[in-house]
Amino acid sequence: MAGTDYTAVSDDATRTVPLQPSRMDGAVIAVVRLGVGLLWMQNVGWKTPPGFGRGDLPTGLYHSVSYAVSHEVFHPYAWLVDRLVLPNFAFFGWMVLLVEASLGAFLLIGLATRFWAVVGAAQTVVIMLSVLNAPHEWFWSYVLMLLVHMTLFATAAGRYAGLDGLLRPGWQQSPSWSARWLVRAS
Amino acid sequence: MVLGGVSIASSVFVFLDGGNFQLVQIRAAGLVVALVLGVLAVVAGWFQEATLILAAGAGFLLAAAVQLVLLAGGGGGFLGGNASAFSLWLGLGVGLIVIGAVPRPETSEETFPALN
Repeated sequence: MAGTDYTAVSDDATRTVPLQPSRMDGAVIAVVRLGVGLLWMQNVGWKTPPGFGRGDLPTGLYHSVSYAVSHEVFHPYAWLVDRLVLPNFAFFGWMVLLVEASLGAFLLIGLATRFWAVVGAAQTVVIMLSVLNAPHEWFWSYVLMLLVHMTLFATAAGRYAGLDGLLRPGWQQSPSWSARWLVRAS
Repeated sequence: MVLGGVSIASSVFVFLDGGNFQLVQIRAAGLVVALVLGVLAVVAGWFQEATLILAAGAGFLLAAAVQLVLLAGGGGGFLGGNASAFSLWLGLGVGLIVIGAVPRPETSEETFPALN
């Protein structure tokens, strides 16, 4: 691409040539990671223990999850929510809060980013299965949400202005199992 | 220093009253946490003092734990935050603890990393 500092790293002209990210690319990837982390933080803000919206007139997370049953997307998931999740909602509400708070926390600082990108994609699928057919929901938003987590994974986004980039060389030199896991997760 | 700067910057959310840009709810004593621990983290980073970095990280983790306990009781309590404040302080706490505790080599992989 003329006018950029992209560099071809393959001598084989017949193959697709991977591009070394420029500083601007790295900055954009970091902004995307920070933005997604902040969105998860905002999203966890309306999860309110201890009831999480359970009551005679359901609100909040309970109301949102109950759409999986009232506006079914995938029958086995609706059955699971009806029989297991809603009757034990305090436990699952806390799990949602802790997972989404951790997504915000770890994507913000860029630690184990590839692992958390996978968790974010999985959580997105769970949300899709709950609310995709609910009134006033926009299908694209959940597809975009899934794709952005795939992008964070593919670009190893924590290596740009994140702790993964700062600490990964040390993890690579360490024989400990935790360091080996962090190398894979970053 | 950057993580401390993030904490200090988060204090701007005290001026927002709901709406789309209220990404984190910082209110009441939570503002003191954001500013005091943020300044401590910046100073610790400036002097590269591991003990101070760990202290700032522990402070954020303590604030996150207290906020979580208050939320379990049914409200933001004296810290005035919600689960978003818990998430922010969890991230800053873990980040500072990791930075303060892990020895690292001189070189950084931040520029042009190989994806493997």
